[in-house]
Amino acid sequence: MTTTAVAPAFTDTPFVVGGRTFRSRLMVGTGKYKDNATMVRAIEASGAEIVTVAVRRVSLDRTKEEGVLYHLDPSRYFLLANTAGCYTADDAMRYARLAREAGFNEFIKLEVIGDQQTLLPDTTGLLEATKQLAREGFQVMAYTNEDLITALRLEDAGAAAVMPLASPIGSGLGLLNPYHVRIIKSRLTVPVIVDAGVGTASDACLTLEQGVDGILMNTAIADAQDPVAMAHAMRLATESGRAAYLAGRMPKREIAVPSSPSKGMLG
Amino acid sequence: MIAALPRLHAVTDDRVVGEARVVERAAAMAAAAGPLLAVHLRARTLPGGAFLGLARDLASALAPHGSWLVVNDRADVARAAQARAVVSGRGGLSVKDVRRVVPGVPVGRSVHDDAERERAKAEGADFLVAGAVYTTPSHPAEPPRGLDVVRRAAATSLPVIAIGGITPARADEVVEAGAWGVAAIRALWDAADPAAAAAAFLAALPAPAPRADIGVVINGEARRARPGISLLDLLADLDLDARAVVVEHNRRIVRREALGATPLAEGDSLELVHFVGGG
Repeated sequence: MTTTAVAPAFTDTPFVVGGRTFRSRLMVGTGKYKDNATMVRAIEASGAEIVTVAVRRVSLDRTKEEGVLYHLDPSRYFLLANTAGCYTADDAMRYARLAREAGFNEFIKLEVIGDQQTLLPDTTGLLEATKQLAREGFQVMAYTNEDLITALRLEDAGAAAVMPLASPIGSGLGLLNPYHVRIIKSRLTVPVIVDAGVGTASDACLTLEQGVDGILMNTAIADAQDPVAMAHAMRLATESGRAAYLAGRMPKREIAVPSSPSKGMLG
Repeated sequence: MIAALPRLHAVTDDRVVGEARVVERAAAMAAAAGPLLAVHLRARTLPGGAFLGLARDLASALAPHGSWLVVNDRADVARAAQARAVVSGRGGLSVKDVRRVVPGVPVGRSVHDDAERERAKAEGADFLVAGAVYTTPSHPAEPPRGLDVVRRAAATSLPVIAIGGITPARADEVVEAGAWGVAAIRALWDAADPAAAAAAFLAALPAPAPRADIGVVINGEARRARPGISLLDLLADLDLDARAVVVEHNRRIVRREALGATPLAEGDSLELVHFVGGG
């Protein structure tokens, strides 16, 4: 690993989700890597503590190596199972219950997808599943679109965190709607974590500058030319964005204001 | 419960129960066959009081030898006489209704064709009485169904008692077809020496054939498995680590600690999942 946590020149509040405190505001996925060794090194370089995993059938004439836990030490990372690929509330709840039975934790990254082309969420199904799973004791981290009303309803439904997208999953389009994400953050009590759509480090930085609590990404790292280097960049970008948000940016102006004194110029 | 199901079943009918010495004959067979014998009390003409009286007499005669009293159709009598099992015949109570009367008591169903067999399985019967295998003077109008009725019943993976014209000489092929045990009326009750007849049946009964594989669906694939195998053993057979797999059995999650006590049955559907890379 090549770095460098930036020495914190600022004090931050702890990052708490569902009653647990985490060190890193960057969460990463484990999918799409060209090989497992690269995945492990990239995750290390990202400094992430929460890593997402998917629930799938074992293949019956398989090798044991296909399970992600064969490569990733579950005592070192906090495993956040997702319900990726589920198109109904019932399916998503079924996957969530299976994931919990694996015995690691009560957290679920809840996805109820509504459309194959955009993978945008079905917010009706999402709300229904959030309500039920929260009742069953899950800490639901709900993947949603950047819509304030849905976000408020998810919070009411018992979500432990609301996860608006930056842009569609795997698109790399970056943060398309900073205003809406900012508005959501300003109105919710539970953590707001932007999930999906960032493409490069500046996207992550810009996202954290909106004041959100964290960011989750997979493809931006896994599909980079050099995933390990990109993971490092994402770590720095997440820390930079957070630090900049806490620092409080200067106001934007339409006209220039000189940085050097106008007094004392030569006559 | 199933493992202890007797293998020789002395079934009565109206004629047998109408004769004197039925209790005495049952006691003689019980002395010879012990826990391997079940006496089925089946009578359509006896009023309730007499039926129960006979059931109680039989139960007291059988109990010292560990033999079973099985009552046909009359779940109320079975309950009052503390019968070891109930068999519900054609047109009789459903398994569920029998269980309402005698909870915890094994319930068998007599089956003669595909429809009855499938219904019995769907109702959750504990065992099947399948016949008639051969032509029998007890039911001259009933066409014999051959060994096929036994084979098909055994394919449910439930224990099967074959009935209909069975003699010690035919015990071999009936068991080979998948029967757990055999039932007889005349060959036992009409014998000059019922104890010797029971002993002859037991001597002729081979060890039960290992039941045929059962069909199950695992992760969407049709597979064969050993009947009654526990989910834990199945995972071992598949070379899967039970600690790394979550098991859903007929849409119900089975906790890891319960895997060893959960048996697999014909037609079961399993999902075996684990964590893979994902975003």
